[in-house]
Amino acid sequence: MSKKFKVSRRAFLRTAGVGTGAVVFGSYLTPSLQAQGLIHNLIYGFPVDDIPVVLLKLNGDVVIITHRSEMGQGTRSTLAAVLADEMEADWKRVTLKQADADGAKYAVAFPAEVPASHERLPFPYEPIIETRKPKLQYLVPPEGSQFTDSSRSVTAYFQVMQIYGTGLRLALIRAAAKKWGVHEEDCRAEKHVVYGPNGQSIGYRWLLLGAKKEKPTYEEIVKAIEKRKEKRYIGKGKEPMPFYDALDMVRGKTEYGADVSVPGMLTAMIERCPVANGALVSYDAAPALAIEGVRAVLPMFPPGVRGGGVGRAFTPHAGVAVIATNTWAAWQGRRALRPTIKWDVGPHGTYDSAAFRKELEDSTSRPGKSVRRLNDVDGAFGQAAGGTVEARYYVPHLAQTPMEPPVAVALFQGGRMEVWAPTQSPDVTQFSVGAVALGIDCALDDTECQERARKAATVHVTMLGGGFGRKSKPDYVIEAAMLAKQMPGTPIRVQWTREDDVKFSYYNAASSQYLKASLGADKRPNAILQRSALTSFFGTIFPNSSTPGLAETQVAASQKARSEFVGSGVYPYASGIERAQGLEDMPYDVPNIRLENCPAENHIRVGWMRSVANIYHSFAINSFANEMAIAAGRDPKDYLLDLIGRDRILDEKLMTTETVERFRNNELPMTPIAAPVVEGGKDNQVVAGYPPDTSRLRAVIDQVARDSGWSDKVAQYKNMKGRGLGIAAHRSFLSYVAIVVDASLNAANELTIHDVYGAIHCGLAVNRDRVMAQMEGGIVYGLSIALLGEITAKNGAVVQNNFDDYPVLRMYQTPRIHVSIVDNNDPPTGVGEPPTPAVAPALANAIVAAGGPRIREIPFNKAITVL
Amino acid sequence: MPAFQLNVNGRMHAVNVDGNMPLLWVLRDILGLKGTKFGCGVAQCGACTVHLDGRAARSCITDVGVAALSKIKTIEGLSYDGSHPCQKMWVELGVPQCGFCQPGQIMTAAALLDEHPHANDEQIDAYMSGNICRCGTYPRIKDAIRRLAGSATS
Repeated sequence: MSKKFKVSRRAFLRTAGVGTGAVVFGSYLTPSLQAQGLIHNLIYGFPVDDIPVVLLKLNGDVVIITHRSEMGQGTRSTLAAVLADEMEADWKRVTLKQADADGAKYAVAFPAEVPASHERLPFPYEPIIETRKPKLQYLVPPEGSQFTDSSRSVTAYFQVMQIYGTGLRLALIRAAAKKWGVHEEDCRAEKHVVYGPNGQSIGYRWLLLGAKKEKPTYEEIVKAIEKRKEKRYIGKGKEPMPFYDALDMVRGKTEYGADVSVPGMLTAMIERCPVANGALVSYDAAPALAIEGVRAVLPMFPPGVRGGGVGRAFTPHAGVAVIATNTWAAWQGRRALRPTIKWDVGPHGTYDSAAFRKELEDSTSRPGKSVRRLNDVDGAFGQAAGGTVEARYYVPHLAQTPMEPPVAVALFQGGRMEVWAPTQSPDVTQFSVGAVALGIDCALDDTECQERARKAATVHVTMLGGGFGRKSKPDYVIEAAMLAKQMPGTPIRVQWTREDDVKFSYYNAASSQYLKASLGADKRPNAILQRSALTSFFGTIFPNSSTPGLAETQVAASQKARSEFVGSGVYPYASGIERAQGLEDMPYDVPNIRLENCPAENHIRVGWMRSVANIYHSFAINSFANEMAIAAGRDPKDYLLDLIGRDRILDEKLMTTETVERFRNNELPMTPIAAPVVEGGKDNQVVAGYPPDTSRLRAVIDQVARDSGWSDKVAQYKNMKGRGLGIAAHRSFLSYVAIVVDASLNAANELTIHDVYGAIHCGLAVNRDRVMAQMEGGIVYGLSIALLGEITAKNGAVVQNNFDDYPVLRMYQTPRIHVSIVDNNDPPTGVGEPPTPAVAPALANAIVAAGGPRIREIPFNKAITVL
Repeated sequence: MPAFQLNVNGRMHAVNVDGNMPLLWVLRDILGLKGTKFGCGVAQCGACTVHLDGRAARSCITDVGVAALSKIKTIEGLSYDGSHPCQKMWVELGVPQCGFCQPGQIMTAAALLDEHPHANDEQIDAYMSGNICRCGTYPRIKDAIRRLAGSATS
């Protein structure tokens, strides 16, 4: 993988980009050491000349640069507050500034050969092995440093922020101690002031020049972090963690992508080919141009040229844009244009969800590629003393629908592209729009090309009105850039409608899951077979056999690139990433296991949606656990604990190598050293990870059982008609969540969800209130999926339009939600996505307990009435 | 194009636009009041909620010609400093996540509380269910309104 991510050293040889009035800490490092990145600098001393996330102004005010995208998960305030906490900054003097795309600037690296005295870097920045050759090892590589997905901002940057903040505090204290001629151990800092042993005090602003000369070492910093037990905001701090943007948000002052205004800006709306990889045949611009305010009508691609879709990464669909002086004029112009367009829909024009579901189910009816195998499943199936349980589950495509539909502004001037966009992927956006500026096409694995393209683009990241994975795909930003390229000097804003958002998402995969288990005499399964078919994201990203207009050799080359890029199966099989999300890491303690991945083709754009492959994997396996419990006549919660079995770290030897990499570090922006090191004949993975730990899964189940009063209620509901509890538990994004749903079903088959209980183990809950908020929101999101979520295609085009026919949960449907955090001081793990996967199966299980049907497909409103 | 006199947040604005232009786009594109959000365009999500003569209305389907007959209040006019009780409670409870839908949520909630100062749960659900939040802040929105209505329970 890392050989695909070659990064020039140029990126690190740059001057500190600080604004007027800022103190620039002087460099004391040699250029060659500077070139080795941030953590490296920290190992050899502190402060560095280019702490990329903080500026100290001459008046003592602190500007913290927030480099991760903020879409509601709270990372912007959280990481800044961690730095401010450790720095003992006065939050009233802190302002936040959102960073432009600059992946290299926020990369975190350390040399693979760590000096003997620093053998143990704080977990998770802990190299398991050392190599002989000193070499730069990225933990957060440049292209991943701002990529805000996989619930990993705090996981990856918590300690980095602690290190920066503490280093600054130590430097300031040391400067004060020298000024006063006292021991620094006798001084302490609090809210922008250093206090001395004899009643002295001095504000930070008067210490800046002195602090600049100080170089606390990495060891001193680590020691100081450990010593400062009492945190102001972090975890169970003295004060609630600040929420920087809240006041602006409630006043309508926050600037989202949709709110960006650039002088001279025109607004474009695009009528797109409804089918992936379609092409424009013809159109008539005249009716649109007749609308007052319409300035231009431009095709996205010339007639006959196939637009984006399957196998074309982030290339936009074919389309025709109407560009006008305001949004409404563009909208009206688009309406006038629509009937004049003729499309060539191409090979995906027959895609039909009902037929495709059958294809997926046929696929899981046949043996697939074995991805995990333990002993002899077929043999054990022959000895099913306690009976056999068999089930097939289905989850359709789903659309993320963030409240802010995709939108972006682009300006092409002087050969460069400048864009403003609510994006989860600043780096991909940067090289993608840079490529548009240069008129080149960079393959996803062509790092040299990307490097050139980055130089041609500036990306201003705005606040996101929701993301949920939709805004990690920059197709809508590329659209703005493509139009701006055609109108140099004019800023072009592309505004999507909700219908555009519903019809042109990168949909969560449609998936069929088949499970079979044989129960032993003790009613525990002695064998489990699971077959998973899913439309892989990488079928959309990399050209494949279903991408029109490609020669066989091109397809082969692309599949080779895909295989190297994601380290996994080629089209039409799933990637290691998708298999690591709830398939290969199945936590059940069963003597015979076979997990298979079955092929599934792509006929529509597929992408991530909050918790991704965990959605269908967790729905299937947690529903199936419940089906086994019922077959065994056992309490579902006890049976689940029994299935998970004793406390242990899941044996990774059972899994494919690439999946182990994925699920140990959950695609953290950490790149393993290129070649695994062989020790004693055994391959060692080189990045410290977070392997699945069943004791944590059990802990959240125990917690949620206590919170929900499981045992008492189960007994109580036994004598009631139509009410029941359901439970499910799932590990994802390194965190563990268990959900209990309390629901009832009346004689008319109408569902009421009374309460949902959730417990999470996410390591140290750095920002407790936002962890709670993510649990609440993730549960609501999960209920939306379970009850209502369905995107279907007919004749290659998405059928649904807006929130009327793609409904999402509303307040009156929202139950009481009760959340618990299982407290611990382990390194923090994800919270944005983990709350969602266990919700649908817990609800399905509750419906069965309430006397309702076993629902094996999403959305549930097909089987029961959702009021 | 006809000229309309709009009373927005107590100030008069003359706008020359097509009378069918939805108030939403007049506010956002012509008057530069960006606090009112576009979420669906068909009155399904409530992100564009404003007050017309004190009552909650979806500006995405309200023609400017119709809106001109009423006093219009947007989130910017609810208070300049976030001192409206809803805004204060929203901040206190940490209601927003991405925040995009919250101006619309707050405008609906403010209208609800004007009409029903002691709104009960049924009234809260009835009023607020036209406003979608994909981040799932409903429990906290409900909590905030209950507290303001003095009906906080459970």
